[in-house]
Amino acid sequence: MLQIIIQGLLLSGLYALIAVGFTLIFSVGRVLNLAYGAYLMLGGYAFFYVSQTLGMPKLLGVVAAVAVGVIAGLMKHRFIVKPLKGDMVPVEIATLILAVVLQSAVVLMFGDSSKILHSIIPGVVQVGTVSVPYSNVFAMIVSWTVLIALYLFIRKTHLGRAMQAVSMDQKGAAISGVNPDHVNMMVWGISGGLGALGGVFFASYTQLYPAMWVAPLIIAVAVVIVGGIGSIIGTLIVAHIIGFMEVMTTSLIAPELRGVFTMALIIIVLVVSPKGLFGREEIH
Amino acid sequence: MISPLKTLTGAAAIALAASAVTADIKVGFIGSMSSDTGLSTLRGAEIAIEELNAAGGVLGGQKIELVTADTREDVTEGVKAYEYLAESEEVDFIISGSIDDVSLGWLPRMIEYQIPTLDTWTSYIGIIDMVVENPDDMKPYFMNIASDEALATLYINFGADVLKAQMGFESVVILAEDTAFGQAITGLVTEALAPVAGIEVKDTIIYDINTVDFAPLFSKAQESGADFIYQVSSVNSQVISSQYVKLQVPMAMTGVNVSALGLEYWEDTGGAGGGISTLSPIPSVGFELDPASQAFVDTYQAKYTSRPVMPHFNGFNAYQGLKQAFAAAEEAGGFKDVNGWNAAMSKQDLKLMKDDKLWLRYGFWDRDTVEPVTNRTYPQNALFDLEAPYDFAQPSMVVIQWKEDGNVGVVYPPEYATTDFTLPSWVPAK
Amino acid sequence: MTSNLNLRHAIYWALFAGLLFAMPYLVSKGDLRTMIFALYVGIFAMSWDFLSGRTGYISFGHPFLIGIGAYATAILSYRFDVPVMFSIPLAVIITMVASTMFILPALRIKGSYFALVTLAFMELMYQLVQVIRPDLTGGTRGISGVETITRGAVNGFYLAAFLAFCVALFLWLLTRTRLGAAQSAIGMDEEALKGSGINATKLKLFTFVVSAAVAGLGGAFYVHYLGSIAPRAIFDINFVFTIIVAALLGGAGTITGPLFGAFFLTFLLEYLRPWLPGAERYLIYGGVALVLYMYQPKGMYAIAAKLRAGVMK
Repeated sequence: MLQIIIQGLLLSGLYALIAVGFTLIFSVGRVLNLAYGAYLMLGGYAFFYVSQTLGMPKLLGVVAAVAVGVIAGLMKHRFIVKPLKGDMVPVEIATLILAVVLQSAVVLMFGDSSKILHSIIPGVVQVGTVSVPYSNVFAMIVSWTVLIALYLFIRKTHLGRAMQAVSMDQKGAAISGVNPDHVNMMVWGISGGLGALGGVFFASYTQLYPAMWVAPLIIAVAVVIVGGIGSIIGTLIVAHIIGFMEVMTTSLIAPELRGVFTMALIIIVLVVSPKGLFGREEIH
Repeated sequence: MISPLKTLTGAAAIALAASAVTADIKVGFIGSMSSDTGLSTLRGAEIAIEELNAAGGVLGGQKIELVTADTREDVTEGVKAYEYLAESEEVDFIISGSIDDVSLGWLPRMIEYQIPTLDTWTSYIGIIDMVVENPDDMKPYFMNIASDEALATLYINFGADVLKAQMGFESVVILAEDTAFGQAITGLVTEALAPVAGIEVKDTIIYDINTVDFAPLFSKAQESGADFIYQVSSVNSQVISSQYVKLQVPMAMTGVNVSALGLEYWEDTGGAGGGISTLSPIPSVGFELDPASQAFVDTYQAKYTSRPVMPHFNGFNAYQGLKQAFAAAEEAGGFKDVNGWNAAMSKQDLKLMKDDKLWLRYGFWDRDTVEPVTNRTYPQNALFDLEAPYDFAQPSMVVIQWKEDGNVGVVYPPEYATTDFTLPSWVPAK
Repeated sequence: MTSNLNLRHAIYWALFAGLLFAMPYLVSKGDLRTMIFALYVGIFAMSWDFLSGRTGYISFGHPFLIGIGAYATAILSYRFDVPVMFSIPLAVIITMVASTMFILPALRIKGSYFALVTLAFMELMYQLVQVIRPDLTGGTRGISGVETITRGAVNGFYLAAFLAFCVALFLWLLTRTRLGAAQSAIGMDEEALKGSGINATKLKLFTFVVSAAVAGLGGAFYVHYLGSIAPRAIFDINFVFTIIVAALLGGAGTITGPLFGAFFLTFLLEYLRPWLPGAERYLIYGGVALVLYMYQPKGMYAIAAKLRAGVMK
């Protein structure tokens, strides 16, 4: 029982961090960013290059990863979203193409073989019979901090309210003096940074490899379908539903059905509540 | 300074010069050109071709040209690559560094075109079964790596001799990936461990290959109360091994971990790979080489500076196998007569000695010989030996272990061992 | 089928058929092999276009329909020795039934959300095929040695060309009917449909099932061409990429455009092979697709129209 709680909390924290940037861009930009997984890939490889290849401090690696993610997000906004005028379908297609291009670029630069990241904080603590690596605890703390900060940011700051406004109504926001283009740009940047940060932790759980953008994208997709668009708290809750379901499936039922259960949950939610459990179109 | 234009014309001149030496025999390479695995086969073939050409060519002084077809380890790309080699390049012989499902993907094309083809990486017994069932269709096919069944069978002896006799392990929990490979190995090991090695199988845990977090699986393994974990992993293998190390699971773990087969394993895992042991086809990392194989590695390392710094087992297979394929072609008058080539290839037999002992043998099982331990035939599959003292051929596999200081060595069988099997420092001895 | 069919169209289609028929006499066998792949990708892209290009319901999981058809006939013929002439029609029916089961809940959602759900379905199929009854599906390794209908490049080409031609003509004729006009209205304004007296839900269902039937048919013949099937070869995001980009580069909503898009993409990748044998090939391939798409999201159809307008001036 204790084992399920600890392992469930750790994994769910990671999932929430992976999904939140995807939710954000889906809600405010109104765009399904299929290249979102590529942020995670870029972040992971940036961290690997700085901290493991160059041997710089790990903190610098994390900063570099987030910076790369933010830049990637901003560039995507500048060179893909803006020229296509934020038109939903073309942007979605262009981001899919971009993800495939980035994957080939990573193969060229780092090769095909998968790589393992060092623990950000080495060491393990035994809680009862459960081994808990410090790194995973750290990932969970970062995840919670980021999500709460983002929630407060959207609720309490001027810019955050502007984001809210844009997510509800682009034109209305423009009339009330918010520049939707500006806000969109910010959101693409933030989403990129969050994705890259998630990538560092996702890769240090699993591995770095050129096709690694697909698996976290599927996780984010699952969280968004079940949770619905636009809710940060919803993202957090659903990440926990999925995370705990996975740990319980693995521990109590049959580990090979891990993915199937998640997908089954998606179908059930779709039939029962097509907009997701916490679905609202605008961000809140 | 050389102007870009000059460089360009220079390159064109070289290209012209190269095509002026008309290549009469074409060899096609099929495999991934960005993975260590694929590159090992490709480079093994390149070196063999260079040596054959330098020695005056083949089949009456003809030069060999190598044509590559990248599969990106994608099944459909593999089919396209095979078609490209067969119909656009019209190659005479194909050397493959494909993985299981890629080979299975292009096999129908090989059956259609009947181009002599040598597989150096996939060890899937199902393909050998196809040779048994459809000998005529599969005439052009050879696999010069011991099939996975033979690998798993010899592993049982490691269980009896080392895990039980030396370490005192009485029971095992199997932690296997949910793939066809995982099921095949798991089935063999589960059936044989108890009766042959006297090790009780407490539980078998099958996991999804996209598992993010292995902590619950390791907890489950610990709860089974077994003495050690037998892992079977061919996909995303580094995830399970690195999490085993990062979580410091207080239980011994050994088995099959495909990612640990190359020298880059240590670099790729950033050192989070210590303590992992796995069975490996031969020659593995940390394997003592005979003079002939060592010469091949020396040539390889002088020629290539990028990874893999040391060819994987399939690089050796490609190097020797390609030469054997041409020796067979000399005898059969080329590659066109598939029956003749098949007969000549089946007779190829290269024995490499080390300190007056048979060390490695490159040859193939014939149609009728029944292997005494597994009690079945392995036509057109590499020769192997499942019983000490391995005087018929090399063992089907060795067990290697990565130590926590980054050294790697062979721990089983004793005839080939360079170091002892040890438990990771965080695992309490039994 | 009314007056908007005229002689000019008939001539175009006859020329197209003639070109396909003459092809084996014009190009090498290697190119013919590449064309077979292009034709199958073209069939899948047309199926995608009929659903997504025209209605705005973007499917990011189209391979799950293709895969159902392909696996159904592969399992029937390989495991149960059902003759191909029965297993393929059965596979098409199975795909249509399965797609109906999918579309009924999915009809309630639209826009990007629909796209997300199709992506999730493809992933589900990928997982299920490996876990549920691997004795039938062959698990992760799939099935090799599925009966092939044709041997040799020329026969394979004629079969694929015949299929692609029929599919293209069939879908094109469909779009010329009143149903087709209403169907493309889904993409523009679903509300407007209500006024026209056409049941939007039934129309969506019809569109989806037709698209699924074509995908299933293409998938079934595809697997009997390849002779093998593996989950990684079908339920793969790179496959989604190829299908969608082929459709869009050719020209979404035009039915025959996707066929040309498929030819362009397949030949681009194949013709890069001798120059860039390694991983660079995919970078260039993706890069060209991205630049072309950003330059003209409406595809080659729009570029061709522009050029023609320029010449006319």
